[in-house]
Amino acid sequence: MRVQISNGMFMAIIINMVYAKAIGITQGSLAREVGNDMWMSTIFSTLQGIMMILIVTYVIKRTPKMDIFEQSELLLGKIFSKIIALFFFIFFLFAFGGVIATFVYHLKDFFLPDAPLLLFIIAAFIMGVYGIFFGLEVIGRMALIGVFSIVALNVLIILGSLSEFRVEELEPIFESGFLSTLWASRHNDTDWLMATMMAAIVLPHVGKHETWGKSGMIGIGLGGLFVVLWPILQTGVLTSEVTAQYFVACMQMARSAHIGLFLHRYELIMVAFFAISALIQIMMTFLCASIAVQRLFGLKDYRPVIVPVALILCGGGYWLVFDHQIAMDFLERTWVYVALSIGFGVPLLLLGIGFLFKKKIRKTNMEASS
Amino acid sequence: MPDELELKLTSTFTYDIQSNITLIREILGHSVDLVQRDFVFHQEKQIRGVLFYTDGLIDKEEINKALKTLINRSEEIMRSCIGAPMGDELTENIKTYLLNNASVNQSNKVQDAIDGILSGDTAIIIDRTEQVIILTSRGADARSIDEPQTEQVVRGPRDGFTENIRTNTALVRRRIRDPRFRVDSMKIGKKSKTDVNIAYLNGTAKEGLVDEVKKRLARIEIDAVIDSGYIEELIEDAPFSPFTTVQSTERPDKVASSIFEGRVAIFVDNSPFVLTAPAYFWQFLQASDDYYSRYMSGTFFRLMRYIAFILSLTLPSLYVLLISFHQEMIPTPLALTIASGREVIPFPVLLEALIMEISFELMREAGLRMPKPVGQAVSIVGSLVIGQAAVQAGVVSPFMVIIVALTGIASFAIPNYGASFSIRLIRFPLLIASGTLGLLGFASMFTIIAIHALSLRSFGEAYLSPATPFKPSDQKDFLIRMPWWRMDTNAQLAEGEQYRLGEHQVPSPPPKEVDKEDDKGQKPPEKKKSKNDGDAQSSKQSLVKIRRKKRKWGQKDEK
Repeated sequence: MRVQISNGMFMAIIINMVYAKAIGITQGSLAREVGNDMWMSTIFSTLQGIMMILIVTYVIKRTPKMDIFEQSELLLGKIFSKIIALFFFIFFLFAFGGVIATFVYHLKDFFLPDAPLLLFIIAAFIMGVYGIFFGLEVIGRMALIGVFSIVALNVLIILGSLSEFRVEELEPIFESGFLSTLWASRHNDTDWLMATMMAAIVLPHVGKHETWGKSGMIGIGLGGLFVVLWPILQTGVLTSEVTAQYFVACMQMARSAHIGLFLHRYELIMVAFFAISALIQIMMTFLCASIAVQRLFGLKDYRPVIVPVALILCGGGYWLVFDHQIAMDFLERTWVYVALSIGFGVPLLLLGIGFLFKKKIRKTNMEASS
Repeated sequence: MPDELELKLTSTFTYDIQSNITLIREILGHSVDLVQRDFVFHQEKQIRGVLFYTDGLIDKEEINKALKTLINRSEEIMRSCIGAPMGDELTENIKTYLLNNASVNQSNKVQDAIDGILSGDTAIIIDRTEQVIILTSRGADARSIDEPQTEQVVRGPRDGFTENIRTNTALVRRRIRDPRFRVDSMKIGKKSKTDVNIAYLNGTAKEGLVDEVKKRLARIEIDAVIDSGYIEELIEDAPFSPFTTVQSTERPDKVASSIFEGRVAIFVDNSPFVLTAPAYFWQFLQASDDYYSRYMSGTFFRLMRYIAFILSLTLPSLYVLLISFHQEMIPTPLALTIASGREVIPFPVLLEALIMEISFELMREAGLRMPKPVGQAVSIVGSLVIGQAAVQAGVVSPFMVIIVALTGIASFAIPNYGASFSIRLIRFPLLIASGTLGLLGFASMFTIIAIHALSLRSFGEAYLSPATPFKPSDQKDFLIRMPWWRMDTNAQLAEGEQYRLGEHQVPSPPPKEVDKEDDKGQKPPEKKKSKNDGDAQSSKQSLVKIRRKKRKWGQKDEK
């Protein structure tokens, strides 16, 4: 029997899957490209995310008991399914770069600058492997706590920075032009695509398939709401010029937040809340990459490949975060191309193929229901 | 030798009384507390009889009564026998016409008689019959019903469980006068043959839960069960976890309310602790007082306990990580105060914390094991004298003493001793991780503990429910305790009837006119029809609508 998670857990996983990197690193990239309009860019990418989740939901809903690999096999055979699995593995291998950079740079650069880098990678490895060993349901439950943490973090940042917020810093809107702002949204799209690609694997495990689309939309909508608060505050408090100077811009924002005179530094509390979202990103990346490898090699369970997959991902992650410049180049160029091509390409390809093989899908569904 | 005993136990009695007596003697030996009382029927002196019972386990009055009847009123029996007084007819007639004790059984199995004798029953062996009469005469001295030692309340019932299983089931039965309340029995322990009772409310306990409990109990193979702790360890879901997944309590009111919520209670003879399952983690932070005090104070004290839980788990770790790694996070005046206190301390803060935590645990354990008056002295010497001396000698900082003391007090605010111990236990890895890796260590260890807790189940129920998985209707009795008139639905765990309250249970004062009457409070005046009646009607209708909506929502939630 498949593990089942509730629609609420699915929404919570989406929100967590996007949040940490989107507020942590992406906003710096956006600020460097479109300045004041980074919040507009975030809104554009959220809308694109909603569109993509609807497409993915539509694709999976055609054969609700099959995940994207099983559907690929149904449409064009085993080899095609394995190619899709390979694409998914590549996607999550690259995605882990951004995820681990978020995790490591937040903790190392701001709290433990003298600690060896390997320590952070080992911690991420242990927690990620331990988490996915228990499966999707446990991650889903943890994601619910993660949503609470995200709300708490957002409340804390509002409390700590609203007094210095200057609305005039947001003006003029579309300073860098509408098209540039829209084009810059590709940075944040990479975050949403992690959620939509994850949904393509996870959706068959979600309870009520009638409301998949609605749950996905709400998940991305709420996630967008939680994320967009940061570029607005960063622009209004730090200004986009200052935001653009930092790799981990949100920490600078958190560092400048204060409540009265006594509580002048509480980024530690905020990072504790933030960590859950970052860890869920790590766990889900491990999980999705492991499932992709499982399908690639035709294994019955993903658990035997957890450790090798996590080692590959952590190895790559270690190489990447070793140098800030490499990490920045990777996240602003290589990762964007990989994420957009696979994240948009694979679901759209399957959508198109699905239209060509409508009868096959219908026949399989009828057989399954009878 | 054991095979021989087994053989004798599985044999049956014969018509010859002497061989039956020899058989019992061979099995039970000549222990001083095993009493053999011979007698003859007054009217038929040739028919011998013998009583076997264990001194100290019986009610002598019951035995005297039975003996008197057997000796003096035997004529009636003899008359009722069709042929010669012998065989099954004799024992059947004695049982039916003569003995007026509440519970009398008969059996020809040696095992039944031996079990009866060792449990406080009396075996009556009569010549010329292979049937033995087993008379219920249990009446061992027992501790009277007393206030529970480990779960005291300010407001609420004062009775607690005792070591007598029947007293314990009766204490719960007094609170559940529902015909669907069931108490099933089984014996566990090859040598102890301990009585274990499983109590539940038929139709309220989830389908399959009672069977699962019985299945787990039935698979226990052990020589002896001395306390319910044995059973708890043998049936729990996560044997390697520091978290306890079965609740144990000394309070009958707690067991009764658990049964009303669809749980199953396990009573073990000779133990004043009754187990209830399934258990949620948050249940261990709830006290009986929460429900007996008004909802505002109940909620307030419950919130205090949640704070106590957080402090107990994280306070030393947070202090150590802040002092060791992240000093810049501490507000400057506070940092200066702490630094001045730590100026002369030779140990790193992690070591200091570990020394203090271990000393505290030592003092707690010593205080617990010592005789009561000495225990108090140990606590005073330990906490005040040694604490003060340690600070003055520069071994520990005053701030560390405050932290450890606060943590200790917080851990004692958790009502369940088992849960309090679990939290104390997981505090140590958290402390070590924080002291060695700072925020990274704290976050990593906390996450591992959280994942572990999230993966736990208790008899099929998620351990951290209703927080995660989130159960909306159970939120009324989770972080806060809603007023009784708001808690209209049963816990999600309970099956059957969903609503526990009638409609419009919110109390309200009588209409204002009553106050003006001389006989106020005796008879409310009849309602006059007015224009506002329509509004009242519509508001009532809207209330009904809201309630219907709520009910629908509750049903959805259940699905």
